[in-house]
Amino acid sequence: MSDRKISRRSFLGYSAASFAALAAADVLSGCATADKAQVKGTGTGAAAGGSMITGYFERFGIDEDIIRRALAAAMSKGADFADLFFQHRVVNHLALEDGEVNQAYASVALGMGVRAVKGDQTGYAYTEDFEPEAIANAALTAAAIADAKAQGAVADFRRIELPPSRYAVKRDWEDVRIAEKLPLLQSVNSALFAKDPRIQKVAASLADESGHILVARSDGLIAEDAQPMTSLAVSAIAEQNGRRESNFCSLSGRSGIELFSDEAVSRLVDKTAQRTLVLFEAVQPPAGIMPVVLTAGSSGILLHEAIGHGMEADFNRKGISIYADKIGKPIAKDIVNVVDDGTLPGARGSLNIDDEGNPAKKTVLVEKGVLKTYLHDRISAKHYGVEPTGNGRRESYACAPMPRMRATYMENGPHKREEIIASVKKGILCESFTNGQVQIGAGDFTFYVKNGWLIEDGKLTRPIKDVNLIGNGPKVLSQVDMVADDLLVDDGRWTCGKDGQSVPVSQGMPTVRVPEMTVGGQGSQG
Amino acid sequence: MTRETNGNPRAEMPLIPDATQDASAAENLLQTARRAVEVAQKHGASGALAFVNTVREVSVGWRDGKLEKISEAVTSGLSIEVYADGRYAAVSSSDMRPMAIEKLAVQAIDMARALAPDSFRGLADPKLLYSPRMERNLSLHDTSYGEMTADKRREAARLMEEAARDVEGKENIVSVTTNFSDTRSVVAGASSNGFEGFYRSTAFCPSAEASVRDPDGRRPEDYDYAYARIQADLPDLSSIGKNASRRALGRIGAVKGKSGKYTIAIDPRAAGSLLGRLMGPLTGSALQQRRSMFEGKEGEAIGSKLLDIVDDPFVMRGLGSRLFDGDGIAARQMPIFEAGVLKDFYIDTYYGRKLGRAPTTGSPSNVILKPGTKTQAELLRDIGDGLLVTGFLGGNSNGTTGDFSLGIQGNIIRGGAIAEPFAEMNLSGNHLEFWKHLTAVGSDPYPWSSRRVPTLVFEGAQVAGL
Repeated sequence: MSDRKISRRSFLGYSAASFAALAAADVLSGCATADKAQVKGTGTGAAAGGSMITGYFERFGIDEDIIRRALAAAMSKGADFADLFFQHRVVNHLALEDGEVNQAYASVALGMGVRAVKGDQTGYAYTEDFEPEAIANAALTAAAIADAKAQGAVADFRRIELPPSRYAVKRDWEDVRIAEKLPLLQSVNSALFAKDPRIQKVAASLADESGHILVARSDGLIAEDAQPMTSLAVSAIAEQNGRRESNFCSLSGRSGIELFSDEAVSRLVDKTAQRTLVLFEAVQPPAGIMPVVLTAGSSGILLHEAIGHGMEADFNRKGISIYADKIGKPIAKDIVNVVDDGTLPGARGSLNIDDEGNPAKKTVLVEKGVLKTYLHDRISAKHYGVEPTGNGRRESYACAPMPRMRATYMENGPHKREEIIASVKKGILCESFTNGQVQIGAGDFTFYVKNGWLIEDGKLTRPIKDVNLIGNGPKVLSQVDMVADDLLVDDGRWTCGKDGQSVPVSQGMPTVRVPEMTVGGQGSQG
Repeated sequence: MTRETNGNPRAEMPLIPDATQDASAAENLLQTARRAVEVAQKHGASGALAFVNTVREVSVGWRDGKLEKISEAVTSGLSIEVYADGRYAAVSSSDMRPMAIEKLAVQAIDMARALAPDSFRGLADPKLLYSPRMERNLSLHDTSYGEMTADKRREAARLMEEAARDVEGKENIVSVTTNFSDTRSVVAGASSNGFEGFYRSTAFCPSAEASVRDPDGRRPEDYDYAYARIQADLPDLSSIGKNASRRALGRIGAVKGKSGKYTIAIDPRAAGSLLGRLMGPLTGSALQQRRSMFEGKEGEAIGSKLLDIVDDPFVMRGLGSRLFDGDGIAARQMPIFEAGVLKDFYIDTYYGRKLGRAPTTGSPSNVILKPGTKTQAELLRDIGDGLLVTGFLGGNSNGTTGDFSLGIQGNIIRGGAIAEPFAEMNLSGNHLEFWKHLTAVGSDPYPWSSRRVPTLVFEGAQVAGL
């Protein structure tokens, strides 16, 4: 049993760890419980008997009657809102080590969660048993958050129609055979070994996921989404004169196998080789305060930690974020514009709807340096009297939703990358990252730089490695004084953790300059 | 430890049937695991290993004077590893109906057959396997668990919150959240070559978090918790609430110190995570994949003589205690470091075969660092001037080279005593050098973790700040 962590800190990881831990399932196409034959009977036409309304989940025997009963049970003790979240997730994981694809993991998760809400109080229960009685019992258990008589009734159901999916796949992962996936991993392996004789070991893995969710709410809304996800992760170990170095790169998105074009795979391989081999030349930067340049792409980790978490409205509703009471106030220079965007096509952090059934939008956090909007779930939107922003997310049916980021990035600014580097007399440039963490209330945050460069007299002079940077969110953000025009949203496998729940996210940034941050290097400045 | 607030004590009648309730639950799960193995064999697997578990999890949260959240569920999981035609695959699912299990097993076999053969894959050596005749009572299951009620949990959470607000400086408290959660789990496993095992366990976790207002605009937070298998082992709950708010209030006015080399003491609550980073590359997988800084270093001194660590799966009521591991291998005690010298690795069956070494076990159980004789206060007196690290913030550790760089917070040590708090600083070094400077360990191992680590003192640590 792992140790329990209770800190309110949130973290972001470029998850090398999610291999065996994740419910990984493979060719387990389709149904974990019911027979696929059932699906054929419904699909088209006649919504009679409520069959259309539950869409994909009808194959598991979920119909309008079950939903109505469960919502009524959840509302039966005086809750003012209730919702049901049905989820079916099939995950496959294939791994190559020592030249062979010889490990496969697959998992199926099928379950539903019931939430009863009274004000800002939440009752939650979940079950993997789809018998109507089990679902109703879960609903009654959640209902116990309230202790009065039923007040609201369940409204008439209406299924919301979504615009075309932001992540339609050419072919469902469930229809892609293992034999089609093997060459991908094998080509990564041989291409990487061909790069350089110093490369000693290559590990590669391909994960794919077919996810379906259905949200049904006491206000009558019913929404459904198909949420594919995939990632290709590569790690390399190289040796030179008895020294060893390793590195890790990944490519991920809400996409089908088409994400892994020859070109994309070859970029991933190049990046992995380059970022591993350069470590032999790399040094530890000095310890202390210095100017920091963050290059375009995964540097968005700065935003995720320095402002993103602090803008999640649950922390502000409770008054425990350093950004509480700062809406409408200037917090950065006017060249700084930050958004959290659920609408990017195929991005890992994109959503059509959030896990409360709200359409996912592009939400402006900072506009011309002024703090604009928190990231809301339903409870916080109601608290603040605003429209939900589509940030109510959860790890799975076993968890109640809360405000979470999607794709967080800074918009382009007026400067050029070269001009930013040239402006630094002595500092560092950060290129790739492994993870970050923040304290919501104190605002202190860190991120770990895997690859970077020393900047001396405006020039990149020596590679650096393995160093943690630490700063205070509002302080660092207010200091950002140069923003380039080269915005890039990173396509790595980023996973965000908060209160024990992990969700996939994206992040991006143009090249920026922070005049001073504490660099956790070794040795003195000199 | 809790008291009834309203009405008469009553037995809890959960709406969601508690499948962990009876002692027979474990044997039922064992039947399911056996069936999964048999079905896999029937469909062509040469070998199979299955684990089944059921967990009941209940949690109550309290915030700022009222109930905030209740949550309850009973969930199940089944995993099957199959070996077929010299190939390997693993599957898992929450659906344990016989039809579904059969389908899952068939799919696992189909999946394995699509892969490359792997001569190193196979079930663990039968001589190493656990069987129920090796059972010993580790007291992992609290027989009074069934007496826990919704009211008792609410009262526990309420009491912690009330206590948190009853401390000096309480006017600076912004928010307090408390939680009482408990679980009862049953796990069973079986393999086609003779492994069988099952056990029930419980866990109780009261926790409190407090946020406070710092005059400089920051809202520092901190927390406290306990985590125990047996409810009677929990401390007085009000102390958890009070510790959380006192710790948070103690963060007010945090400063950033100068960069330099310091003598540092690491508080037991934080020390476990640093030890975890040292021990991560001790796995067979890291060794075989050449990602371990410990390669070729068995028998060498990695740390000072005070680095003395045993992996002990048989700690009574221990949070990491177990009878068998994920390969079905019977648990045993194992020295990891003796007087600083590296003695053994965490090697599972697969990587053991790849490395040509006997397997030990694939993952840590209880990690026990031998305590010293001095209290933390005595150690701080000996240090005189330095830093007491009470928490880490982010950072990472490179298991291939040993380099690490971690955000730290805590208190300045001045004149042998705890002085003002510090924040926004960073500790860095290389494990292969750093642990040689472990100059003292406390008598205070942390009780609420499977890593029982006391206060650790290091000299000459590189810290970044101003």
